[in-house]
Amino acid sequence: MTDDFANPWLYRLKWAYMLLIVTTLMAPVMYVMYISFNANGFGANEYVFTWEWYGLIFQDQLLLGALRWTLSLAVVVTLIAVPMALVSAKLYKQSTNKLPIVFLMLAPLFVPPDILGSALLVFFKNLNLTFAWFGDLLGVSFMDGWFQLGFSTAVIGLIIYTIPYSFIVILITMGRYRSEQTEAARACGADGWRAFWDIEFPQIRAGVFSACSFTVILCFNEYTRTSLLKGGFDTFTTVLISQMLNTGMSPQSYAMSSLVSFIAIAVIGSIIVFTMIRSDSLSRTARAKAAPVMST
Amino acid sequence: MSVMSPQGFDGLAPVKATAPPLRERLARGIFYLPIIFMVLFFALPMALTVVFSVFERTMFWMEPGFTLFSYENFFFSARLTNFLDSMKYSAIAVAICFVLGFPIAVFIRKSLPQVAQHRVILLFILPFMVSEIIRVFALRPVLQRNGLVNTTLQDWGVINEPITALLYTHTGVVIGEVLSFLPFIVFSGFLAMEAVPKHIFEICDDLGVGTWRKFRDVILPLAAPGIFAGSVFIFVNGLGVALLPNILGGAGAVNAGLIATQAITALDFPLAMAVSAIMMATLMGLLYIGHRLFDLTKILTPLN
Repeated sequence: MTDDFANPWLYRLKWAYMLLIVTTLMAPVMYVMYISFNANGFGANEYVFTWEWYGLIFQDQLLLGALRWTLSLAVVVTLIAVPMALVSAKLYKQSTNKLPIVFLMLAPLFVPPDILGSALLVFFKNLNLTFAWFGDLLGVSFMDGWFQLGFSTAVIGLIIYTIPYSFIVILITMGRYRSEQTEAARACGADGWRAFWDIEFPQIRAGVFSACSFTVILCFNEYTRTSLLKGGFDTFTTVLISQMLNTGMSPQSYAMSSLVSFIAIAVIGSIIVFTMIRSDSLSRTARAKAAPVMST
Repeated sequence: MSVMSPQGFDGLAPVKATAPPLRERLARGIFYLPIIFMVLFFALPMALTVVFSVFERTMFWMEPGFTLFSYENFFFSARLTNFLDSMKYSAIAVAICFVLGFPIAVFIRKSLPQVAQHRVILLFILPFMVSEIIRVFALRPVLQRNGLVNTTLQDWGVINEPITALLYTHTGVVIGEVLSFLPFIVFSGFLAMEAVPKHIFEICDDLGVGTWRKFRDVILPLAAPGIFAGSVFIFVNGLGVALLPNILGGAGAVNAGLIATQAITALDFPLAMAVSAIMMATLMGLLYIGHRLFDLTKILTPLN
């Protein structure tokens, strides 16, 4: 083995360093959570614990409306983006020329939010004008609203943003699936859908569900692309940032930020715990199979 | 299991290999839908930024034409200085992220048992799952004059006066970039270290090679594609995320993302498109150089 085990203190020191980095990354969020429970708000000399600000969130109509919009965006994006990522991961597995697929699917990761948002904004406005012009030419008006900035354009922007993450997560889980199983299913007479749904899907389900929760969380958290493409309505982050930049953080916005962070951390935390339990049980089964009891 | 001979099926013909029915052919078409979607709504808009950037600006919109005014507007103004400055600070952020984050990736790959590796990596997804807005904005109460860092340091007696250079400066932006993007160098480093099998470390240890030489001559060449991809990611996002200079930066802290969004607010759409086109050119140029130097497709080996 390596020198780490020869020198346990060095090994522990490295662990401590890693946990220190994670804690540092999380510290600002923890600090916001800490402030959100203070009855006197940020910077006060006296710290009095309270749930008050959390109660006030649910009376704030602006925030509640924003939450509703964000939630519907997140649900629609997840319902479209995750199946798309799944289908393209399958295409990636089957195809011989993988580079164009992987480039198209992962490139959005490298395009900064403001650049993608601006490019899509101008693109959609031009599309909208083109369709309106085309409609005038034909004397019909039903195309006037196509690609007008609004819910659908925000959905498209968010799909492009979230699809690389789902693609990677699903592809990693697919790595454990052996395609011979599909071949066997097809040889037994199952059609393509049945082979997928009854044989492959149960084995990659964990990846698909993780991709879903990632997508929901990413949609909730995204600000730039949504704010550039959303048109009229407000989402949670756009309300939050307008408050932050105009009136400063209110105790309610601290509470709201903490609440959303709590939920995100809880979701990811449960995924981590779930995968741990699952991999434990998987390795136990694998061990059992590796050393079977010789009964016959 | 017994194998049946064809004669066993009394008159029944064996399963024929016919052309797939229409339903299956349609189903095959579905596989290409995401590709079509990404070409239409991602590749095309990004490519069109070049076209729109040479359009003429009108009062509230733009009209087809050919002018290089937007590029002139970018290259012969303070915008270029700001852009180059943000490149410098972004590069500093990349270096800090690498120094802080890459050893973690090496440690996870080298010293942890295989099953534990992915779980530990998941720890770094945790901060990434909290909204970037909240994380960046939360830095204000942490870094400001009476914030967490200054009060703690004063309580410990390390400093007498609060440090004001931490916020609304380039330093603030770099701190924000490091805290936002550090997990990515851990992820890409983790993927990159897939190319460095564990036994290589044992060989190095047997030969009694020092840490620095091990890093320079063994780890770095093998893990270069992944390190490069992670660094480009951080560099480009440091240039393109307007939120960071907007919230943490002071005067002069302007990056490409901020120039683009400010141009959109000012209804100067051709300028915004020119900035986007310049950013895309920078990104493509970097990826091309990286691909020529290290063959970036190697990063994908673990996925296949």
